[in-house]
Amino acid sequence: MIGRRTVAAVLALLILTGGVAFAAPATDRVLPAGQHTTEKARTLATTHVRALQELNAGIYHCWPWVETQKASIGFYRPKNVAPRTQDDRYLSIRIYVEQDPSPAFGKLTFEERSTAMFSRYAGPLLRRMTRDGALAADPTLDGFTAILEWMKQAPPVNGRPVHETIAIFMDRASALEYVSGRTDNRTLSARAHVLGFDGETPLGAIKIAPTWDDSFVTTYKVQNYQLEPGVTC
Amino acid sequence: MRSVCGRLLLLTAVLVVGAGCATGEEWGTWYEHRTHFASYDHLGFSVRNTEGSAPKVSRQDMALARDESWWGRPITVGQEQILDR
Repeated sequence: MIGRRTVAAVLALLILTGGVAFAAPATDRVLPAGQHTTEKARTLATTHVRALQELNAGIYHCWPWVETQKASIGFYRPKNVAPRTQDDRYLSIRIYVEQDPSPAFGKLTFEERSTAMFSRYAGPLLRRMTRDGALAADPTLDGFTAILEWMKQAPPVNGRPVHETIAIFMDRASALEYVSGRTDNRTLSARAHVLGFDGETPLGAIKIAPTWDDSFVTTYKVQNYQLEPGVTC
Repeated sequence: MRSVCGRLLLLTAVLVVGAGCATGEEWGTWYEHRTHFASYDHLGFSVRNTEGSAPKVSRQDMALARDESWWGRPITVGQEQILDR
């Protein structure tokens, strides 16, 4: 009798652990420490690897309409931003936002679409990126990068959809002041450096209109989406 | 008479079967655009969620859709244009 119970328990454990492993996000979304090119970056990546994997898992489960690709998260050095040190390292994340086509969104200018996407995602991403206290307080961290990408509402080119992208660079002090509530979203975007891209074409630094805190991320639910067992958001 | 009828029947059958088959060019076109079921995972999702029942979408379904580029590989900026490792 005990034997049967033991077998049943082991089987249940195997099924459960197998299920959890199957449902887990791919760990390759985080750039491995060894693939960073400087000692400073490798140290950051080694010290905070758990926080980065938690960031990856949180977005994977809690924002299911968002996708990350391989090496989307890491301590990268921003390009086209005036450096403050010899090796500025920003905690960076790149996300692709799946969204239904919207004529209203499509009619906006690129700057207006960028303003809307900044308002919707920059704040919530920063909150997730600073959730780990040790990471947010690390004095060797210089800032945060959020790369937001979405489908351009235009006909495909040679059968391939075109994406629009903005890269948002925020220095650490500005980001932490926003997260702590000492400054608002408008101040955050005014201090941020934002680059735009139309497909593969760089549009340079773009001026976005005053931004706001959009509540979409905390209120939107994907229809019929089932959160994996044991995961809370 | 029976032989003529038999030949007509055979000819009709050949024409019907032939009309139902794709040409080499058509197969080529299909092969280049196999997006209806890009993978067995997608097939599995479609089979699990039949018409008339409330669909259940798991995170893995959504991740697979993106990873396998069901809707085509996008034209987008490379990360190396924005960031250095």
